[in-house]
Amino acid sequence: MDGKPMNNTVQPESEASLIEDLKQGDSTAYQKAVREFSPGMLAVARFYLDHSSAEEIVQDCWVTVIDAVQKFEGRSGLKTWLHRIVANRCKNRLRTANREIATDFSETLEPELANRFNSKGRWDLPPKLQFHDSADRLMENGALSDCLDKHLSALPETQRSALMLYEAHQHKSDDVCNILDVSASNLRVLLHRARQKIFLMVETFQETGEC
Amino acid sequence: MLMCRDLAEIASDYIDGELNGPRSLSVKMHLMICKDCRTFIGNLRASSNLLSAHSSGKADEEFLRRIDERVAEALSVRKNKGSDSE
Ligand SMILES: [Zn+2]
Repeated sequence: MDGKPMNNTVQPESEASLIEDLKQGDSTAYQKAVREFSPGMLAVARFYLDHSSAEEIVQDCWVTVIDAVQKFEGRSGLKTWLHRIVANRCKNRLRTANREIATDFSETLEPELANRFNSKGRWDLPPKLQFHDSADRLMENGALSDCLDKHLSALPETQRSALMLYEAHQHKSDDVCNILDVSASNLRVLLHRARQKIFLMVETFQETGEC
Repeated sequence: MLMCRDLAEIASDYIDGELNGPRSLSVKMHLMICKDCRTFIGNLRASSNLLSAHSSGKADEEFLRRIDERVAEALSVRKNKGSDSE
């Protein structure tokens, strides 16, 4: 409805036969799966780690998949399953490195946005500009793209992952809850808080040209 | 009546089609009369699309080939282990 590109998803029947071939250790099936799923897995990992660590994690994951796929029952879909493996590995690696800043799930508005309404609940400081360019056009702006990277990496881990899985990989809410271990209502808050931060960032960028 | 702040709170749910009928209708009614909220919803939706466009991961061919190699290696180790135990 809003013109998001659909991801190329494997059809259910062919996914079942792909899984069967993977279980058999068919190297052609692995090559096909690696091409189909690695970009998504890499993007999951990139939300946690720098580029080279992310590539490393994805490579390691494929090796573990060879054994793990034997026990895979296909209840969650191959993409979801692979993304969960990647997310868990990344989280393990980060566990000691940086502590998660907890999101307050009772607050649905970012403080910076909440301050822009008056006591009657009307806009005091309404959004001034319309983001008229299409997403693709905006992304051609290298400075904005860098700015987005900076802001994404500053998001709390769960907000970042929720955004990535839901927005970039078009996972269904159920899948995201499953991968990230959050409730459906908390996922809604995570997504909304993260989108507001991006909204505020783009707004500042458009007004000032600065990140 | 739905105020701008209320709308801002449920804006993502509206964008994602997660609101029930009456709630979604009250958002639509508010948007008809409130230009600021129309801009807000439009910009929030643009932010969401921006993320989709930004994060679609690309993997280069060399990286994929390295995975192929490691997978092939692991597959052959597995095969050998399998034939040993048989
Ligand atoms: Zn309004």
